[in-house]
Amino acid sequence: MIEREKNHDRLDAPASPDRRRVLAGLGLAGGVMVSGLAQAATTADTDAHVTDAPISDHMREAQPFHGLHQAGIVTARPANGMIATFDVLATTKEDLVRLFKTLNERIVFLTTGGLPPQLDPRYPPSDSGILGPVVVPDNLTMTVSLGSSMFDDRFGLKNFKPARLSRMTGSPNDALEPELCHGDISVQICSNTADVNIHALRDLVKNMPDLLYLRWKQEGSVPVMPRKPGAPAESARNFLGFRDGSANPNSSDAALMDEIVWVQPGKDEPAWTHYGSYQAVRIIRNFVERWDRTPLHEQQQIIGRVKATGAPFHGKTEHDVPDYASDPEGKATPVDAHIRLANPRTAQTQKNLILRRPFNYSNGVSKAGQLEMGLLFICYQADLEKGFITVQKRLDGEPLEEYLKPVGGGFFFTLPGVRDKKDYLGRPLLAAAGLA
Amino acid sequence: MKIRHSAAMLTLALGLMAGTAHAAVSPSELVGPVTDYKIYVTENLDELVKDTKAFTDAVKAGDLAKAKALYGASRVHYEGIEPIAELFSDLDGSIDSRADDHEKKEQDPGFTGFHRIEYGLFVTGSTDGLTPFADKLMSDVLDLQKRVAGLTFPPEKVVGGAAALLEEVASSKISGEEDRYAHTDLFDFQANIDGAKKIFELFRPLIEKSDKAFVKKVAANFATVDKILAKYKTADGYEYYDKVTEADRKALSGPVNTLAEDLSKMRGKLGLN
Repeated sequence: MIEREKNHDRLDAPASPDRRRVLAGLGLAGGVMVSGLAQAATTADTDAHVTDAPISDHMREAQPFHGLHQAGIVTARPANGMIATFDVLATTKEDLVRLFKTLNERIVFLTTGGLPPQLDPRYPPSDSGILGPVVVPDNLTMTVSLGSSMFDDRFGLKNFKPARLSRMTGSPNDALEPELCHGDISVQICSNTADVNIHALRDLVKNMPDLLYLRWKQEGSVPVMPRKPGAPAESARNFLGFRDGSANPNSSDAALMDEIVWVQPGKDEPAWTHYGSYQAVRIIRNFVERWDRTPLHEQQQIIGRVKATGAPFHGKTEHDVPDYASDPEGKATPVDAHIRLANPRTAQTQKNLILRRPFNYSNGVSKAGQLEMGLLFICYQADLEKGFITVQKRLDGEPLEEYLKPVGGGFFFTLPGVRDKKDYLGRPLLAAAGLA
Repeated sequence: MKIRHSAAMLTLALGLMAGTAHAAVSPSELVGPVTDYKIYVTENLDELVKDTKAFTDAVKAGDLAKAKALYGASRVHYEGIEPIAELFSDLDGSIDSRADDHEKKEQDPGFTGFHRIEYGLFVTGSTDGLTPFADKLMSDVLDLQKRVAGLTFPPEKVVGGAAALLEEVASSKISGEEDRYAHTDLFDFQANIDGAKKIFELFRPLIEKSDKAFVKKVAANFATVDKILAKYKTADGYEYYDKVTEADRKALSGPVNTLAEDLSKMRGKLGLN
């Protein structure tokens, strides 16, 4: 058997032209563009609040795992995303530490890529093989967050709960299905292809059966919108046919992200949480048949944008900022339009900004013969209460609710990044609690 | 440069089928455990015939209460030897298929065997019309006994049976889908586990020589499962599966799935294809 660690050492290097030749030689490179660029190309809009949603760059094959923050949040959003949540089966503190170390080890391997251990063929293979003999990272990120249930009596973490982490409660319009909600751990898995995400999930399931119990998962996808030279960036559309993410804060603006997304020192949060974030996940079913039978004018009034262009009613492009101040009665943009409630664009509501990173999902057919599809809503914020919870309260009762039914999701705290090879996911928390 | 090196390693690995981690077990060493296993299966089939006779007699006599009481235990000796019984797929289908396996579900004429009778007893609440199913079940079980008697047990099927039994548990016992009308799943659950543990114990000495840690880990997981199941033992069997708490279902899933992973390596450890 070839030891895994050795493989890591060999393949831990950043993607390089050498690697491209190797992959091409193996007939594996097909379609995957590999580059030695040291940094992800990100959109460069300067306006903090009116930019395109981050999109995949396709120029890097692997996203760096080590850093101050976890990858997969301000990382350009690739075409495919999944949320899988798990309950922890470990019952001892030792096993909890083993869980985080194993999870860290698997994510390092999967996001770096390489050759899985080769076993005697009389054994089950060490890897599912669905990506071929060599695992390619394909822009894979795996972002680990903890639910409030982790901070119960099991492991002595009770006193270390992030200050604003709570168990998601239903909003008035929700019809939450218990089997699609919550979890001790959420893993957001994103990459260029759905197969890479599934490969990553199967790897966790295979390697951690005694530690993790899969609770639910939801996959989604989003069309990657290539930037056209000289033209403003375009946001992808959701399954209501509207551009989604036009008002997302610019994820390549580090100072802005420090303000909106990352928990910072100097607040009332436990020190171990610094540089982590709060993750809110919602599985929001859209009643698309009904929506498609709604007049275009009404659809636009409900959303607050022109469907074709995504522009607000006073603007020409989706990036134009709606001018609500001169429209207090909602003559142009109704006061209960979705985008106006979500982001009223006032000085006071700037502190409620969130970074959205959603995917569209399509699951099958309901018992009534209707399409089960909608939005796998994912957002990140430094303060869950000021962020998602406040925004959702403003949206409660909006006209769009007739067409939406949130059925699942949960609130989680996204762990701080893993600094280097000596560090591992969850270590700051375990250390604070005296477990590591 | 490092990466080129790894590609070379890949070619090497694929070319040479690298690594032989299994124990040096000679085919002659397998004869004893395989023979012992055949005796175990034969004994189980004798018990199955006896239990099926008592059960189907009660059904045919119209004794609803007795038939319901016997149902859970009557299947135990089938579930314990399922990997062998499944070698005869026609009989496995007629003895142990579930309504889901049939296009018209419970109303499908092809739905026969234990679960069809279970449906009559526990959902319809009557033995009416069950006699033909009882007769067929009895004759199928006798047929199975006869066919197994003439069967040569392939060692890889025997050893692979341990993992197969755990797959049964992981896919349909944890969820309580096996005996969905009677909720007597814990009888089957324990029988699958016992059947797998028997195979593990028979081959354990051969594996222990080369991999003590593996044997220890597997034994510990069997013990964990047994300990949780023991909480639900009653004077004459087991509690209904709906009594099993959410916490215990979850606590069972860890060792069950870990056993499924580990037992899937037993063939490799014994050098069997």
